[in-house]
Amino acid sequence: MKKLFAVLLALIAVAFAGAQAKELRVLLANHPYGDLLKAAIPEFEQASGIKVDVEQYQESQLSTKLATEFASGSSTVDVFMTRPLQEAKMFYKNGWYAPLVTYDFSDFPKSALSVVTFGSRTYVVPIVTEWEVLYYRIDLLKKAGVAVPKTLAELEAAAAKLDSAGVAGIASRGSAAAAVTQMSSYLYNYGGAYLDKGRAVFDSKPAVEAIRYYGRLLGTYGPTGVTAMSWDGIMPLFQAGKIAMWTDASVFYGQIVDPTKSQVPAQDVGVADFPAGPAGNTPFISVSWGMAISKKSPKQDLARQFLAWATSADMAKRGLAAQITMARDSPWLDKTVLAKVNPSLVATRAFAAKNGVPYDRPYMSAVGEARDRIGEVIIESIDTKGESAGLEKKAADMVAKVDELLEDTGELGVQ
Amino acid sequence: MIKTGFVERNLKILFPLPAVLFVAVMMAFPVAYTLVLSFTNWNLTSGAPPAFVGLRSYARVFAEPRFLAAAGRTFLFTALAVACEALLGIAVALVLDREFVGKGMLKLLLLLPLVATPVAVGIVFSLFYDPTIGLADWALSLVGLPKGAWVSGAATVLPSLVLVDVWQWTPMVSLIVLAGLAGLSPEPYESARVDGANEAQILWRITLPMVMPTILTALVLRTIDALKTFDIIFAMTGGGPGYASETLNILGFKYSFEYFRMGQSSVILVVLFLVVMASSMGIMRLRAGTPA
Amino acid sequence: MIRARGRRAAVRGLFYLAVLLIAVVLLLPFFWMLASSFKTQVDIIHWPPKLLFKPTLANYARAFGEQDFLKYFKNSSIVGATSVALSLLLGLPAAYSIARFAQRRISVFILVARLMPGISFLMPWYIIFSRLRLMDSYAALVLSHMLIALPVVVWIMSSYFESIPLEMEESAMIDGATRQRAFRSIVLPLSGPGIVTSTTLSFIFSWNNFMFSQVLSMEKTKTLPIAIYNFVSYAEVDWGAVMAVAVSIMTPAIVLTMIFQKYVVKGLTVGAVKG
Repeated sequence: MKKLFAVLLALIAVAFAGAQAKELRVLLANHPYGDLLKAAIPEFEQASGIKVDVEQYQESQLSTKLATEFASGSSTVDVFMTRPLQEAKMFYKNGWYAPLVTYDFSDFPKSALSVVTFGSRTYVVPIVTEWEVLYYRIDLLKKAGVAVPKTLAELEAAAAKLDSAGVAGIASRGSAAAAVTQMSSYLYNYGGAYLDKGRAVFDSKPAVEAIRYYGRLLGTYGPTGVTAMSWDGIMPLFQAGKIAMWTDASVFYGQIVDPTKSQVPAQDVGVADFPAGPAGNTPFISVSWGMAISKKSPKQDLARQFLAWATSADMAKRGLAAQITMARDSPWLDKTVLAKVNPSLVATRAFAAKNGVPYDRPYMSAVGEARDRIGEVIIESIDTKGESAGLEKKAADMVAKVDELLEDTGELGVQ
Repeated sequence: MIKTGFVERNLKILFPLPAVLFVAVMMAFPVAYTLVLSFTNWNLTSGAPPAFVGLRSYARVFAEPRFLAAAGRTFLFTALAVACEALLGIAVALVLDREFVGKGMLKLLLLLPLVATPVAVGIVFSLFYDPTIGLADWALSLVGLPKGAWVSGAATVLPSLVLVDVWQWTPMVSLIVLAGLAGLSPEPYESARVDGANEAQILWRITLPMVMPTILTALVLRTIDALKTFDIIFAMTGGGPGYASETLNILGFKYSFEYFRMGQSSVILVVLFLVVMASSMGIMRLRAGTPA
Repeated sequence: MIRARGRRAAVRGLFYLAVLLIAVVLLLPFFWMLASSFKTQVDIIHWPPKLLFKPTLANYARAFGEQDFLKYFKNSSIVGATSVALSLLLGLPAAYSIARFAQRRISVFILVARLMPGISFLMPWYIIFSRLRLMDSYAALVLSHMLIALPVVVWIMSSYFESIPLEMEESAMIDGATRQRAFRSIVLPLSGPGIVTSTTLSFIFSWNNFMFSQVLSMEKTKTLPIAIYNFVSYAEVDWGAVMAVAVSIMTPAIVLTMIFQKYVVKGLTVGAVKG
């Protein structure tokens, strides 16, 4: 009995001590930036005297972990990486983000801040951005006598010429929810959109045209089994030399030219601006990751200290020098840092920053489910090479479903 | 002395008590939680606190075509997997039911898929099934067959997943049946042979009926687990392509952790539990009916 | 005469061919995983599949290089051993009671735990454990793994105890020993094999558990199956390292199985055969 008591007392003491010590619990993603930060944490610990407990998770497992913890009401997370376009609305609505009132956001482009600001307050610090580009095989295009496509029409023609038994002419994500983000640029360039003023509009004429184009392109010239592929299925194929052109986010460049991972020599890999469509050229440039503080964290001061350090202009410069495309403006203006970055990335970013749209998916709380619904239309299009007669109806049905989601979450008609 | 007497008199209760209490405590809250949530409309994406809506979440889930499709797929997957595992398992057991050089080694090999980490198995088979660089297509090409869609095709994904399950669990059925065969008494065989029965008749009329209770027990175990299959589907397709490999368990996971519809995911889990319970009771009843 | 012998030889040949086929099917995925763990990324994604390649240890260097890997190993071992030990502590008396007193209802109650889908436990357990501040310790994982191990122990041991003849305890009790005494000093020592069986099986199930560990572990207590996903990152899947981790996770389980092969087989088949 006495022993039990002593143990209980000890447990309580430890619990108490844990609450008072200068300690932070930080959750990061399996991401180059997360890796960079993790390696630099000892510097922070030394300078600040705060002990940092870092956990790193794969992106969807991170979301699961955060949502489970926050929903249970008894999380001990202090600072965490978050995906604004996928989670911010939902996390904000549930009151899980702490408003960042003292943070200086002047070094961030307005478009980046627009997705993390609700009302008059900003809740997440943008860290990394990505934009859609066209990766292509310089050697294969040269051999076929094809110029780098500047329009979607040219893209289709080029894909036809480059497509052969062993090499797919073009690849892009086909796996339902995953395809939604990369198809967005196609959608925009045809004059379509996912949402407009809080309503689903991807059944409009230009939108359906874009979806048909995407389906035709991938269904005819894409790799086998593309409807089950996301980037992790396409990238090994590109690295094995089996894809001539690939539209996807800018983050993959490092992998496809790395000689320990890719059979394609770096000099054969080119990166171009995403091709223009009938309605212009406005590819997406989105904030893929940001960092936020948990509203319920009892260590707001310590957390703010960490946040300031982790998202500082200095850290951003280090990130950019490591080929991570940071959200802050200043690193991109620093000539010494810029010299280390691949010039194609710099050029395509400049283009996207000038012309691009900050969303690559419907910006709503129930985005997870909405993506699956939109994915249904995309898959039907790819399966029928864009020919499906019922595509308009399918799109209209899914628009109704997404509107339902918006309504359920009180976001219908809300801009 | 008195203490010992108390324990001794109440052994029937005290011995199992800790285990029963443990299970009750560990399960009580989750069962109650899931059940209660299934009567709410809690949805994290709406930001509103959970509210009681009676059977409305049930209605919405049953009205969702994806739910019925997932239920159908769950049964289809289970039926296919268990049927293949039963047939193959019995066949392999019959083949191995004799003394031969290397029997011990083979029994060891049979154990390997059972102790492999399911998530790792899923990942390895993903590579096997890859449409461009996978071993599966290469094996097909060796025997002159065209490439298969495997897990990338909506029509072929479920059988491809069943194949992985069959690889991992047929050995268990085989081992169980082998042990059952080993325990059979030799008399019926002797008299049958004396009466002039041939091998096929012996197999059909004597061996199989005698070992049926064992087979059915193995099938109960497999059915329960197959209905709840998660790791390999999660690791290999996540329910895709589209929704083609979405079973109730995967749908429940998606509703919980991707759509954050906590109320409706609880409904799915309640249904899954009832399905598992009904199935296992059904098979056990079948088993009780077979002649011992 | 010769024809009969020829026929026997043919049947023999076919038999061994079947055995070989079975063996190849069983082993192929393991060999592929092992081979891939020694290949560079370029070789892994090569088509046609490369059967001859220059092996590299880099994948293992990366897998183990994260000093975390030893930590995962330690955590999996601690969680496995503890949950199994506690399950034996609770399960052995329960199994004995079920066997001797034919307590079918209790047996069914404990086994119902196996029927619930794992996901239904995740959120509620997370809530309880974090409210009780048990998340920082191994408690959350151990308790959740026990819910898997306990039914296994009870299932196997109740069958095992049933097969031990009553005479032994009865003669001891006639001599004046209590039932508890008989259990402790006569039945338990005889149960060595059964205990080894249930221990090995439940340890392996705990070792391979992914779902519970994913949600209920913190950085300090992360277990091995989670480590596989360490190499699945935002823009890259390090296949070589993933394979190396997979091999490293499965090797101890396989070694354990080889050593306790007889018991593992018994454990899987008991109860099924008893009828």
